[in-house]
Amino acid sequence: MPAMTMIPDLDISGSQSTPIIRSDWAAGRLTMQGDSYPENSYDLFDQVIAWVQGFLTQESRPLRLELGLVYLNTSSVKAMMDIFDLLEEAHEQGRQVSVTWHYDPRNERIAELAEEFKEDCSYPFVITPAKVVP
Amino acid sequence: MKALGEEGLLERVAALLADPRHAEHPLREALEALYLQHRDQQEQLERLMSISDRYQSLAREAQQVTQKRYERALKRQKKLSRISDRYQALMRERNQTLHQEAHHDALTELPNRRLIDERLAQLDRGGRRYTLALLDIDHFKQINDEYGHDVGDELLVAITRTMRQGLRDYDLCGRWGGEEFLLLLGDTGLEEASSIVERLRTRLAQVRVASGDQWLSVTLSAGLSEHRVGEPYLTTLQRADQALLEAKREGRDRSQLASC
Repeated sequence: MPAMTMIPDLDISGSQSTPIIRSDWAAGRLTMQGDSYPENSYDLFDQVIAWVQGFLTQESRPLRLELGLVYLNTSSVKAMMDIFDLLEEAHEQGRQVSVTWHYDPRNERIAELAEEFKEDCSYPFVITPAKVVP
Repeated sequence: MKALGEEGLLERVAALLADPRHAEHPLREALEALYLQHRDQQEQLERLMSISDRYQSLAREAQQVTQKRYERALKRQKKLSRISDRYQALMRERNQTLHQEAHHDALTELPNRRLIDERLAQLDRGGRRYTLALLDIDHFKQINDEYGHDVGDELLVAITRTMRQGLRDYDLCGRWGGEEFLLLLGDTGLEEASSIVERLRTRLAQVRVASGDQWLSVTLSAGLSEHRVGEPYLTTLQRADQALLEAKREGRDRSQLASC
């Protein structure tokens, strides 16, 4: 049996306009944090979506998303909705998936926005205040 | 009823054709041909109808799928716009906060130097008449040294509050430096400005701030200068600053007017 093509892990260091994106295939974890208003969000998010799709099709282990996203532009919002839809589909097929969205408690508005994203998701989607480093 | 009648007639014809008594009848062969052709046509018609029904139900299913997809896309689009709008509102508020913070002093919430500079430049461009007054709290450093910065800050806030109450809506009062305030009195000449500042200084001298079991109060010195037509506001400001220095030199707790 030929080995399945493993999708390389993502390790994108953030910038002022792009989030830090890291994936860990072995741990079944995808982390995204920071602001996201890239000039070309398709370039950025296509690789993320490909990684999620790859993991969900090639593995049967649980997948966990750890998010610390703050500001998102419209195309980033769309990309996140696409990712959450992928998780929803997988969940409907019995896969174990979850999202934890950490927000700065000084900015409750971000929690409200995370709630909007959560609306149609039937899998565990936790929105939790992050510990503030003084 | 029609179908039953037709089926009855066909059964009758079939029975007649099957009857051996009519085997030699001259019309039998023609009737049999007609009978068979009719049966064929009937069968074809039924097949046609069943194909047509299947097409119709397929088309209906396809339409329902399209409708569902459309509804889902619409829902997604609405969700996307809703979230996006909220992010935009968030950014707008953040911008306003930043703008407020960039133009105001954090402690007293008074306009800071940047905002005052912008306003003065505007006045210069508009060619409007105004008088500037620089006010400085006398011996403020001693308050900070003896009673601590908290008391000093409290005093600044209390002074600010009284200063705001004592000014007209169109006057601008900003924090120019540590214990220095700048009043921008629009459409006001030096004399009128002087009486406004004197009234204000009297009220400010009555401001009391508690420190332990003591009540502290301060006096302020002021330097005033009226803007001369055509000169840049920095020149007016320099004269006000010079007048303030003179007021300090003359013994503080007084106003000094820069000569026009």
